Amino acid sequence: MKQVKRILCLMLLACLAAGSACAADSLPYDCYNYDHWNNILYTPAPYVPDGLVSGATLRLEGTPVGAFRNPQDLCVSADGDVYIADTGNNRIVVLAPDLKTVRRIIAGFEAEGGTQTFNAPSGVALSEKHRLYIADSLNRRIVVLEPDGTFVKYVRDPQSEVLDEGYVFTPLRVSVDYADRVYVIAQNMFQGIMVFSGEGDFTGFFGTISVKISLWEKFWRKLATKEERSKQQLFIPTEFTGIDVDDEGFVYASSKDTDGLQAVRRLNPKGEDVIRKGPRGNLGGDRVFGSVGNYAGPSQIVDVVYRGHGAYSLLDSRRGRIFTYDHEGNLLYIFGGIGTQAGTFQTPAAIEKLGSSLLVLDSQQGNLTVFAETEYGALINRAVSLRFDGDESQAVPLWQEVLRLDEINELANTGIGKAYLSAGDNANAMLYLRRGMNREYYSVAFKRWRNERLRNNISLILSGVVAAAALAVLWVKAVRPAIRKKGKRRDPS
Amino acid sequence: MNRMGIKDKWQHFFHTVSHPADGYYWIRHQEKGSLWIAFLMVLLYGIVFSMNRISSSFIVNDIEPRTVNLPAELAGVILLYLILCVGNWSVTCLMDGEGRFKDILIAAGYALFPMMAATAAATAVSHLVAENEEAFYTLLIGLGTAYTVIMLVIGIMQVHNYTFGKTLITLFLTVVAMLIIIFLGLLVINFITQVYSFFRGIYMELIFRV
Repeated sequence: MKQVKRILCLMLLACLAAGSACAADSLPYDCYNYDHWNNILYTPAPYVPDGLVSGATLRLEGTPVGAFRNPQDLCVSADGDVYIADTGNNRIVVLAPDLKTVRRIIAGFEAEGGTQTFNAPSGVALSEKHRLYIADSLNRRIVVLEPDGTFVKYVRDPQSEVLDEGYVFTPLRVSVDYADRVYVIAQNMFQGIMVFSGEGDFTGFFGTISVKISLWEKFWRKLATKEERSKQQLFIPTEFTGIDVDDEGFVYASSKDTDGLQAVRRLNPKGEDVIRKGPRGNLGGDRVFGSVGNYAGPSQIVDVVYRGHGAYSLLDSRRGRIFTYDHEGNLLYIFGGIGTQAGTFQTPAAIEKLGSSLLVLDSQQGNLTVFAETEYGALINRAVSLRFDGDESQAVPLWQEVLRLDEINELANTGIGKAYLSAGDNANAMLYLRRGMNREYYSVAFKRWRNERLRNNISLILSGVVAAAALAVLWVKAVRPAIRKKGKRRDPS
Repeated sequence: MNRMGIKDKWQHFFHTVSHPADGYYWIRHQEKGSLWIAFLMVLLYGIVFSMNRISSSFIVNDIEPRTVNLPAELAGVILLYLILCVGNWSVTCLMDGEGRFKDILIAAGYALFPMMAATAAATAVSHLVAENEEAFYTLLIGLGTAYTVIMLVIGIMQVHNYTFGKTLITLFLTVVAMLIIIFLGLLVINFITQVYSFFRGIYMELIFRV
């Protein structure tokens, strides 16, 4: 009887284990990262889908909110309220942090002696003063509202010599920094991000992406006639797609890079790109991709979110993936995919963070996917932020936990290796830094290890050299002449 | 002419490495070279090449260990060696070269020794250098390669009794000949594959229908 019980227990345990394995496998997307040689390494899931918010299930004071139509952008306030630009329904829907309660719906405001409405509002942002900035695209203006919904001002009609005659201002995305400067991505504006001062005056362009023309293309354009040239593809700078401002007022701006090399920029107040591109010099999302089919080509980054402590995430609309980088440009983890299951997207449009979760807005499905941090994701996030803050030694236990879940994680190995290096354990430092493929620090550890070995064995080495020299002298002076003499004696010819 | 023992052949091999002009002359005119030593050098170089790829230190080595494949690399080295010799032979036959195919095989095989030795030494040295000291490693390999090129040029010159200028022209033409050989080889392989798949198609059709 006891044995039967034991067997039953074991079977139950096996079922449970299989069940949990299934839970991990049942994610509708792959989680992976690239190693030093661009091989794909599958990792535990850093984030898992944790709910879906669609307008159809929401209610405001009993009345249904109705499905979102082509929502384009969202932002999250300091208290965690989520503002969704429901572009197709010309309104802004405000959700409480639980994402189930609707706080209010902003469909219009009182200004210029009447009720104003929106026309395809496709961008929302909040300033530090909690003012709401709405890119009211087809009304060609940015509307600034107080937290309670009262009208503050418009930002519109940019006046400048650098703008073409009859330029139509169609703002798509908007962001605000601590000084209330407004950064706008406008349609068909290839000169960069438009910057408006706190008073609403257009002050200039920002972070222009220069056009890259290869020598070969130049050569062909030289050969072509004017008529042929007019039919050729125009060399237009890439447009920006998404924008976010970090705590220091630096602007993160994403763009669709046709080379798949750099899809995000970190712009300083002068508009220069100061982002760190990491050991591979690549900030373009997927490093390896096919060349034929629907999912071919470099990642198309449509939005960026600053995650705090130097980390940021990019949203790819081509393969529906979310790429997270640290402040040095190391890829931390990749997850997400295209599909119709919960956790995958049709046309992802915008990404935001809400506490430790990530929110992704899908414009085609008209819903909001919530991703919850897993243990793996949380460990990496915390370790990376500790390193950013300069507490690398505190990050070591976290990295050790990461290695327990993912033993080939290069960042974790590097983190532990660096800790061993500063603790003076050069042999272990070399082991871990090599696993982490960090040549620079490995070299430092190796140099110390080598010099230590040399110092400790210097007497042995020197006596070896002396002994070898003595043997060589003996050979030349005594042994070789003796052998020669013997040989001559034996062979009289 | 008396037959030389294997010991003398080895002695002459090292003499050729240290005095290429003199050594190669006697290989051509007094049968002092050994084909087996030449083949051994090619084999050793193939092995050392693979060894260097997989076991040189992390500081200098950025090769993915999983891509290192000894049989494939050995086959590549041997194939390249044979194509080089055949290419040189085809060119020098038309350009009054005095060397026989055997002499070319020996000349090219012996010439590989410095590169082989230097690569082996550099692989060992790589475990002693840190970053910014890789110069020692690259210098070693560079010197070995340079010495191999010098030996090859002198070898071709002596074996075929050419002037220096003519040797350089021949070497250039040899490269062209090698490219032609590779091109024809690929063409033949392609054709054979097509013929094979044609007959395979007929065979499959037959066994599925009959």
